[in-house]
Amino acid sequence: MVPTNIKNFDTLVVGGGIAGLQAALDLGDQGYKVAIVEKDASIGGKMIRLSKVFPTLDCASCITTPKMSAASHHENITLFTYCDLTSLNHEGQGIKALITQKPRYVDPIKCIGCRQCEYICPVHVSDAEQGDFSARKAISIPFSTAIPQLPILDVEHCMLCGQCEKTCPTHAIDYFQKPEEFIIQAKTAVITTGFDLLPVKNNFQYGNGHIPNVIDSMQMERILAPHGPYNRVLRPSDGMEPDSIAYVQCAGSRDKSMGVPYCSRVCCMYAIKQAMLLSGSLPLADIIIYYMDIRAFGKGYEQFYQNAKAMGIEFVKAKVARIDKGENGSAIVRYENQDGSGIATADHDLVVLSMGMIPGWDPRSICPVSKDSDQFITSIKPKISPVLTNMAGLFVAGVAAGPKDIVDTITESGSAAMEAAKFMSNSHMEN
Amino acid sequence: MKNPDNDKEKEAKKAAMKTLRAQRKDLIASASSRMKTQKKDIKAIKEFLKGKKATIPDIAEGIDMPKDETLWYIATMKKYGQIVEAEKEGAFFNYSLNEPEKTQEKEEV
Repeated sequence: MVPTNIKNFDTLVVGGGIAGLQAALDLGDQGYKVAIVEKDASIGGKMIRLSKVFPTLDCASCITTPKMSAASHHENITLFTYCDLTSLNHEGQGIKALITQKPRYVDPIKCIGCRQCEYICPVHVSDAEQGDFSARKAISIPFSTAIPQLPILDVEHCMLCGQCEKTCPTHAIDYFQKPEEFIIQAKTAVITTGFDLLPVKNNFQYGNGHIPNVIDSMQMERILAPHGPYNRVLRPSDGMEPDSIAYVQCAGSRDKSMGVPYCSRVCCMYAIKQAMLLSGSLPLADIIIYYMDIRAFGKGYEQFYQNAKAMGIEFVKAKVARIDKGENGSAIVRYENQDGSGIATADHDLVVLSMGMIPGWDPRSICPVSKDSDQFITSIKPKISPVLTNMAGLFVAGVAAGPKDIVDTITESGSAAMEAAKFMSNSHMEN
Repeated sequence: MKNPDNDKEKEAKKAAMKTLRAQRKDLIASASSRMKTQKKDIKAIKEFLKGKKATIPDIAEGIDMPKDETLWYIATMKKYGQIVEAEKEGAFFNYSLNEPEKTQEKEEV
């Protein structure tokens, strides 16, 4: 059945991470009506989940939260969170998107975000927002700075005990909520769907995620975050403060066998950033980065790298061949030195894998926009206007078009907003 | 005086909940079983920490639970205000019960 609920906007932004927020704010400030459609329960994307950003070591929340707040309060921006994009196509001179609002089982009008439902809920569920190092409740607000501050009831883990319903002061719990479909018609769209990390379970040389204390870089971001699972750096297998921490670079990236032949561009810099933060938290710990090449390409990045070396972080030019489970929770790293000294092994308390970046969204069967061989969205003019796609009126920004850092993502989002505005202004003149 | 419309509404809601419970029978059963295990584990941690503080390996050994699982519970209980971190002992931190939380829980029981 075709939904009859049609909403009209000037621009549809797909993805509410830092790229989507920036593009929406730039368009909203120019007076365009913008809809942001986000698959997660909160806007903010990957950036709100980071501890700090390189090379300034600014708090990631301190940069992202004001933008999240500005977008949610903007008179020209409407947020649609916890939604699936079912289709996105040209229709007439514009864009038509079919969206499904997934049920939260909470009335967003009545809910006041008091979290009483979460506190009373008796079921604990592993919390992916905290790297699975601690638990949330079966009904919970995703994280403390989430926007909107609305809980999600996780049906898979709900006992239907009714405690949340009884406790809710505003009677906002609705066990019978159903998915709702609606249509967004817009003149333009901006794709800002970001990235995911290549799952550790795909990497058999590094233990497929089964070796204790071998974690990925996003999990380390959570451990380093002030509101992380432990509020300090601890080893997940036993709560020990690690004395020796290793980073394995290009764990998945630049590796055809993993399906990621390209460089993910930001891993060198975020590993250096995390190593510097660890060095601050654990001044006596040995921190080693096993790398193939250090790619410090941006403004101030080389200095950041040199500062890390001056702080005592050890850089070993080597390719890690495999990681095995050691004794007492350690991980044994077997690597080949690139200085010709051959194969060596080292024991570490904690190993962080800098996994490759893969696209956060696959347009296949949803939208006819073309993809490159790396599966990111094709920029048809990568040198003069990298935000243009093969679909007129549909633009791309941020990591959706290929791996890049936050600085480049924000710049590109501004460019996508300008191209969308130009497109709408030209269409208006033609009409 | 009783409002017959309210009674009808309550009855309809009750019937709808019954149907929903029947539809989600398997999910409810697995969630209930998980909740029972968790309740038992949390109780064991609280019993162990009564009047003392301990590190993750000590708690894990004391209640016969894997260390990673113990840390998972402690991190969760800390988040929800039932546990507080105490001083460091070697490479490990001690944890103890949050006393005001203990009192509050007694009231809830």
